[in-house]
Amino acid sequence: MRIKTFLLSAGAVLLLLALGLAASPVTAAPQPPAAHTSGQHYDAAANSMCLTCHDQDGMSVQLKSGEILPLTINATAFSEGVHGINNIPCVTCHTEISGFPHPDRTTETLRDVKLKYYTSCQQCHSDEFNKTLDSVHQRALASGNKNAAVCADCHNPHTQKPIKDMPRSEIPVICSRCHSAIFNQYKESVHGLALSEGNADVPTCIDCHGVHNITDPTTQAFRLKSPTEMCGKCHTNPAIMDKYGISTQVLNTYVADFHGTTVTIFQKQSPDQVSNKPVCFDCHGIHNIASVKDPQKGLEVKANLLLACQKCHPDATTETYTDAWLSHYIPSQEKYPLVYYINLFYKFLIPGVLGPMGLLVVMDFVRMLINRFRKPQHQASPAHPQAGDHPTDEEIRHD
Amino acid sequence: MTAKQKTPTIIQHKSFPRFDLGQRWEHLLLILSGLVLLLTGLPQKYPSLAISQDILSTPEQVNLIRQVHHIAALVLTLELLYHLGRAIVLLVRRKLPGDMLPTWQDVLDAWQMLQYLLFLRKDKPRFGKYNFEQKVTYWFLFFGFGIMTFTGFIIWFPVQVTQVLPGGVVPAAKLAHSTESIVAAIFILVWHIYHVHFERLNLSMFTGRLSEEEMQAYHAKEYERLTGKKNQPGEKS
Repeated sequence: MRIKTFLLSAGAVLLLLALGLAASPVTAAPQPPAAHTSGQHYDAAANSMCLTCHDQDGMSVQLKSGEILPLTINATAFSEGVHGINNIPCVTCHTEISGFPHPDRTTETLRDVKLKYYTSCQQCHSDEFNKTLDSVHQRALASGNKNAAVCADCHNPHTQKPIKDMPRSEIPVICSRCHSAIFNQYKESVHGLALSEGNADVPTCIDCHGVHNITDPTTQAFRLKSPTEMCGKCHTNPAIMDKYGISTQVLNTYVADFHGTTVTIFQKQSPDQVSNKPVCFDCHGIHNIASVKDPQKGLEVKANLLLACQKCHPDATTETYTDAWLSHYIPSQEKYPLVYYINLFYKFLIPGVLGPMGLLVVMDFVRMLINRFRKPQHQASPAHPQAGDHPTDEEIRHD
Repeated sequence: MTAKQKTPTIIQHKSFPRFDLGQRWEHLLLILSGLVLLLTGLPQKYPSLAISQDILSTPEQVNLIRQVHHIAALVLTLELLYHLGRAIVLLVRRKLPGDMLPTWQDVLDAWQMLQYLLFLRKDKPRFGKYNFEQKVTYWFLFFGFGIMTFTGFIIWFPVQVTQVLPGGVVPAAKLAHSTESIVAAIFILVWHIYHVHFERLNLSMFTGRLSEEEMQAYHAKEYERLTGKKNQPGEKS
């Protein structure tokens, strides 16, 4: 009886061992890449192991939502990507995979798949990832908008090229995946058209909105700081503007005139104030910024400028009204001569008239003091007082 | 104590009317409205100063400052219209006194005054009711306030103004308005305040009267004209 029991147990153990050995090649193989202290050679080898299956065309799986999740990774594209170049192991991100068969998929929708993985980027890209935590996208995500962009929406981790190798013209295209209506405006703008011609000076989306820590552009703070911190950044830089014959005085002249003066004060004093004072983009357009020289839309055409004025001053109906604002010009004999000559007039009037008057006052005061010091002598000889010369109270009472 | 002794020597303080009640009220209104206009205008003229930025820090405060400025401007405008209207009425009735009009004698007086200040003359020139300094004060501020009122309404109503005038007048008016205000402020501070406070304390614009001594000393010709007497204390000529 005891022997029989022993044999049965031993058989079971052997069977289990055999099963275990049979399973071990599958489970053991992905182990080396997981321990990625072993070096790049191993990692590449491990990735090639994944790719033995995932490089096949047409691999996909249907999620519970019914959506199809493609599982094919183009090995060539991956190897040309920044992760491929640096031999980053697949399992760095796909941490749940440790062998075959893979564990059951718990995500229900395609979007959930992406959202499940995006936090893994911070393992290596903590700076960028932390910036995104302050972004408008992250805030939208936190408030329940699953469509808000996460890392992989802009950077496909399987194909992302090194950033330095990416053409700038690619940036708006990436944003347009979600913001297509704005992209359509931008691409027709003076900046967008130049970008498409390969111009390296014009701003793309991220030059104004930032990368990773993209702020909410609908806040008052964003509005109020936009002239100095957004448009002014390039438009006061002669290295860029001189090429195109654009004035670098646009910010100075804006700040010096009534609209800009008020905006810059609010920006400093109360950046969250709701202000109806215009900033650059209120007149020049936001994404559809046109050159002021544009014959159709340019603000140098008075009718267009009047339309811009009327947004805030609806009762302005004559084009002469547009000249009530100096339009970034510095008054000269040609532009706003009346302002120029009035300025000139006061430049002479102030020192030329007030100066002599001040001098007369000083001279009068000096003579008065001298008279006062001389007074005792005059009093000593009352027969000869100074006529009409400051008869002080005492003098009159003496008489 | 010595009151009895002093009694016979008490001088009859004879005084002469100088400004009537209406003129004194006008002056008071000018001071008050002008001061409010200056104080609410300066932060707008010098917005980069820290104190201006505190004053103009929110849209509500900007609106408040502008409204106060506009109210004071209306008070001043009404006062100027009254002043002009009164002058016109008096002119039509041939009753406008011409004492304030500049004359050739004022130029001579100014020249003599300059000689006196340069120690080239012993005596100050003898003046009529208003001396040249006072006339300069009046006319400088007359035109100054005229410019500021005129330009002030242009920048207050740019939409209406540009329906009849070219737009360039608005920034021109803005510049003239704010610069003229500084000129007027400096002028009052240096010229007017010196002459009525430091040269001598002349409160006739508030009391309405000048004493006989003041008349003799500062308005000898007017004193002569009114009394028929020559200037008393040691008149030389």
